[in-house]
Amino acid sequence: MNRWLTLVMVLSVALAACAGVLGLKGKNEQHPFEHRAHVLKGVNCKECHAGVNAAGELDDVHFPTPTDCVRCHGKPHDTRDCRTCHTEPYVRESAELARKHLRFEHSKHMTQVKGDCVRCHLGVQESNPTALRPAMATCFGCHAHRDQWQVRDCDGCHVDLGAERVKPTSHLVHEGDFVREHGVRAASARELCSSCHAEKFCASCHAVGTAPLLPARREFDEPKLAGLHRAGFRARHSEEARAQPGVCTSCHSESSCKDCHSRLNVAAGGKARNPHPPDWMGPARGGQHGVQARIDPASCAGCHGGAGEQLCVSCHRVGGPGGNPHGGNFHSTKNKTRDVPCKMCHSGGL
Amino acid sequence: MCKTAATQRHTRAMKLLVLCGATTAARTVCAEPLRLRADAVAEAQAPAGLVILEGQDKVRPWLYAEGLVWTGTRSDPKTDPAADVMVLAVRLRDPRGFGEIKGGRFVVSTGAVRPVQIDGAHALGRAPWQTTTLEAFAGAPVVPRFGTTGYDWLGGGRVAQTLASRATLGASYVQRRSHKDIADDEIGADLAAVPVPWLDLAGRSAYDLTSPGIADALASAAVRFAPMRVELFAAHRSPSRLLPATSLFSVLGDFPSQSIGSTVRWEAAPRLDLLASGAGQRVGGEFGGNGFLRALLRTDERGEGSLGLEGRRQDVSTAKWTGLRGLASLPLGHGFRYATEIEIAVPDAPRGRGIAWPWGLVALSWRSASGWEAAGAAEASSTPEHRYQMNALFRVSRTLEIR
Repeated sequence: MNRWLTLVMVLSVALAACAGVLGLKGKNEQHPFEHRAHVLKGVNCKECHAGVNAAGELDDVHFPTPTDCVRCHGKPHDTRDCRTCHTEPYVRESAELARKHLRFEHSKHMTQVKGDCVRCHLGVQESNPTALRPAMATCFGCHAHRDQWQVRDCDGCHVDLGAERVKPTSHLVHEGDFVREHGVRAASARELCSSCHAEKFCASCHAVGTAPLLPARREFDEPKLAGLHRAGFRARHSEEARAQPGVCTSCHSESSCKDCHSRLNVAAGGKARNPHPPDWMGPARGGQHGVQARIDPASCAGCHGGAGEQLCVSCHRVGGPGGNPHGGNFHSTKNKTRDVPCKMCHSGGL
Repeated sequence: MCKTAATQRHTRAMKLLVLCGATTAARTVCAEPLRLRADAVAEAQAPAGLVILEGQDKVRPWLYAEGLVWTGTRSDPKTDPAADVMVLAVRLRDPRGFGEIKGGRFVVSTGAVRPVQIDGAHALGRAPWQTTTLEAFAGAPVVPRFGTTGYDWLGGGRVAQTLASRATLGASYVQRRSHKDIADDEIGADLAAVPVPWLDLAGRSAYDLTSPGIADALASAAVRFAPMRVELFAAHRSPSRLLPATSLFSVLGDFPSQSIGSTVRWEAAPRLDLLASGAGQRVGGEFGGNGFLRALLRTDERGEGSLGLEGRRQDVSTAKWTGLRGLASLPLGHGFRYATEIEIAVPDAPRGRGIAWPWGLVALSWRSASGWEAAGAAEASSTPEHRYQMNALFRVSRTLEIR
């Protein structure tokens, strides 16, 4: 019991000591503006954000000034500008970015919501600075915006979406292991992805011969960038490939292995050293090579594809000593005497 | 006759001039600038030097153009390309969103069609009732180093239906030929749905028509409830069907690999994110698994600095290894940033490839408000091929925005 109590106490002390580091306790004087306290006091938004109800698309952001504050707070507790502490700079920057990159007129919306700002600014009641800006899901409450979304008319609201530097939080979340997840998500939403990501974004990983432009190589000073080929990938790539047979083929052609392996002398031909284990072509049922080729045929094709296939055909042709290479469940719609690759072994109508 | 032809040419030239003038005039009120970026990258190892140029411009709401090219030095003229075009695409779009057409060099990926880089065209049309879309694409798969192959082309399409603004269901088809022979002939289905705001569902599957059977299938279901997100995923791949059907290795039969697992992201504290993932796998009849645990601590409210730690274990078939990775990225002020990344991977069966493969990188970068960037790094590693390896990397970049 004492042991558990000690553990709990140590953990509590550690947590308290790390509270600042973990962001549980503010390190500086700045803190979110107390919107909630003002709402509870019955202060109308327009009393501080004067003129917002008539604001057009090109008007300034209607942040209150110290003059607005001292109208009620007659005796400020500090001589400095109220905004020194009662705001957080990134909230202001976020609002200014939104002002710059959104086609939006408060004046038009005020009549729609009958002056009720909280209809859109739901986070105001929670004093949560990150929730002050309405989520896109809130905009979709209106049919017009939903129709724009349906036809991917982002330009209807967003101006220069790429420069807005805002990550979607309400309609497409990039959380979790998104490198693995993005393929299945993008399958039905390629057009949606392209509303933020340019072609080069896909091409930097999925293009042929892309190695020099892989984000991990080009942006070597950004270790936070996610990617399959980060860090010591070159050392562990064969382990990664064997763990997920076929996954490399999703992006790479089978010849892409050959380019690198030839240079490093681990490919077939020339002065290559044999990368296969000793029992690869053993006398008992041909050794390991048949089993491994079935599990991960792309790895074999990486070195022995193209002209190298003749190596297989020399044993596995019809009537050859290698026997039938087809698995029990193999079936194909190809014509075996006419089509490639069948005719390599089935020539002569066999 | 000649005079008429000359007059017609003159009229066409005038029209072109007026069009160019109108386009130039329109640029003054264009909301999006022409973006240009140039990178010069140098390494101690091959490829020793690269120059990368890229640009993108949304000239009008309906016209978008983008290009990305690179050129570099050769260490081996036979294998290393000296230059290549990664993207060169122009997209025309109906401003109301009812259609778009794209041409040039780009990556096509839609529905169950796996990403392929092509020189070709892609068109998308949307029905007036907005919920049905039709896509078609065709082109020649890109061959690196400006190479060509005869009779190598790819074509296909996809039809998709959105259901009650909550789900999109798609069906796709792709055929690829290599030297006249069928290399890929697949149909596919895909689904993305958000039935309720906290639940994301997605899935896709491709069915091989040449060697009938499922080539690959992926499914994902994610639940969000602050401060967590939990995802369940499953994958099925048939490696022999993922190879081109012209490859001799595509005839070995169906030995699929499968995995099923879950990823959990937890915002444990305002500045601390934890990500855990684990999956069970079946490869070649053997069972195994993999998993990782990753922690990322932001050193400030805006996440400009961060520290990360990750542990990983892979244990399936003949691929068994354990890895540990740490990273730090910290702003130093005046536009300078320090970054370091260290990794060590330990294989269960070294087989003469070294008992551990450590890798490390230390980088210092600088970024100016005017668009200049410079970065330098030292990289050291030990790999199965080399007992030790050192590398130095440098990059100078310039970004321009012209309005």
